[in-house]
Amino acid sequence: MNEPMIQCRGVSKTYFKGRTEVTPLEALDLDVPRGEFLALMGPSGSGKTTLLNLLSGIDSPTTGSLVVAGEEIAKLPRRQLTAWRARNVGYIFQLYHLVPVLTAFENVELPLLLSGLSKKERHERVRTALELVDLGDRIHHAPTELSGGQEQRVAIARAIVADPPLLVADEPTGDLDRGAATRILELLRSLTEDHGKTIVMVTHDAKAAAAADRTLHLEKGQLLEDACVPS
Amino acid sequence: MRSFLNLLRLSWLQLARHRVRSLLTVLGVASGMFLFTAVETLQRSLARATEETADDTTLVVYRENRFCPATSRLPEHYADEIRRIDGVREVIPVQVVVNNCGASLDVITFRGVPAGLLTRFAPEIEIIEGSEEAWMARDDGALLGEVFARRRGLSPGDRFDAAGVTVTVSGVLRSPNAQDNNVAYVKLPFLQQASRAGLGVVTQFNVRVEDADRLDEVSAAIDGVFRSAQEPTDTKPEKAFFAETASELIELIGFTRWLGVGAVVAVAALVANALLLIVRGRVKENAVLRTLGYPGRAIATLVVSEGGMLGLAGGVAGVALAAGFLHWQSFTMGNEGLTLAVRPDLSVVVIGIGSGLLLGVLASLWPAVQAIRQPIVRSLRH
Repeated sequence: MNEPMIQCRGVSKTYFKGRTEVTPLEALDLDVPRGEFLALMGPSGSGKTTLLNLLSGIDSPTTGSLVVAGEEIAKLPRRQLTAWRARNVGYIFQLYHLVPVLTAFENVELPLLLSGLSKKERHERVRTALELVDLGDRIHHAPTELSGGQEQRVAIARAIVADPPLLVADEPTGDLDRGAATRILELLRSLTEDHGKTIVMVTHDAKAAAAADRTLHLEKGQLLEDACVPS
Repeated sequence: MRSFLNLLRLSWLQLARHRVRSLLTVLGVASGMFLFTAVETLQRSLARATEETADDTTLVVYRENRFCPATSRLPEHYADEIRRIDGVREVIPVQVVVNNCGASLDVITFRGVPAGLLTRFAPEIEIIEGSEEAWMARDDGALLGEVFARRRGLSPGDRFDAAGVTVTVSGVLRSPNAQDNNVAYVKLPFLQQASRAGLGVVTQFNVRVEDADRLDEVSAAIDGVFRSAQEPTDTKPEKAFFAETASELIELIGFTRWLGVGAVVAVAALVANALLLIVRGRVKENAVLRTLGYPGRAIATLVVSEGGMLGLAGGVAGVALAAGFLHWQSFTMGNEGLTLAVRPDLSVVVIGIGSGLLLGVLASLWPAVQAIRQPIVRSLRH
């Protein structure tokens, strides 16, 4: 338990946009203890989402070491990285990205379809996740029949249904009104406090960042500030 | 296995909930498979009619160098000489009258045979309506093949006229031999007089040999007996006779193979196009699934199974429609008095449905590769 959930050492990411070399992250060091709710802030293009993508294993660093949930993911082959992601990471998108033709229940069930669980076990888990996000009464609604806040709660249920230790959230309240945003932040907070999830959240909103245990500022690929925010 | 079934269910949900798009694609596939099944049925019907098998024991004795029933005239008494040849089990003289000697879609063939000989020569014939006695009792009585009667809507008691011959239907017969099911059997003297061929003259002799292995030997013996006669003969196995006589028909049906190839290509292109559009419209959705931990092969399985389901559904619909249509229509093609019954069999149904599934799967392979080639991050920004 003493091992941090995330340990970045000298992580850089470089890619080419046309002929121009872009380096959104440069020699970044970061430790995130287990069970921490971390907010990442910074202007557009500062590398926040890039960092989130690296931490969640959907992108790979160009150089450096990246240990997440006890695994050096920078060196994992693609197939193993996919399996690692399924076990360890829940991703929450700003625009929810629910599958439009599936109901809330079916969307939340998606991460479990390849898990080998029986139908009964899957359905129990899905119901538990939906009840946890307070959507037990909307399980058979399509995404188009839900409000933005409800859609985001379905997305959170989808992210936690496989019980991953790490949740990454890319501006989870960016498309919501204040009331819905507050309820989502309370939900994320409770996932940390009551269920021990480690959360890394990218946000532009200082009020949203205030819900986190700690806020880091990124600018031009560098961590500029490490401020402790009382929860 | 459980994961695979879950992926199939997910594919099914995607298709079922994009109902209009799926139905239109299935309709297109079904149209192609309808054509494919019709062509395949034609080809197989032709193969059945012309390819000899080890069980064939029937020879046809025709006038040498004649191909149309109207020009083949053989003395009826040849039957007695043929019957005496070693290896011959039974002989029946047949007068053939047709309404059209060339290739035709609706040929009507009368076969005049000695009344007492028909069921002795072909004991496999079964009278399913009316009776043989009723046929024996009337000079102008006709026993119609089952397919012929259904095509023309005729039943016992009806009268009809074709090729200048007017007959009364005495019964309907069923036979494992497709030719029997497509002709009208009348009594030989009646047809000889009605067609003005004259008594004592027939078109051909149908000969049953004792053993299928002796077909060549017996046919050579028959032609040998009449080599120096005024009317020399040309004897062939029944299916070889059909293959030679109905050459126009065979050429026509051979051409339809290209229609079948065209239908297959059209189906493959349609499914591939539909799936490419689906994959392009689902770039972000697939990236989300990969973010959730779906490996590339799972995404490819989703795409391929959607293609397979579309192909299978279209195949089932197209094959069922074509088989039903051909069966219901009792479609036949005739040439030189011989009839090709175009009837679907189980193998055509199985091949048609299997082809639909296979085409769907093959056509979705490239879209499946497309679906997993893009990096996740770029696809999420799509």
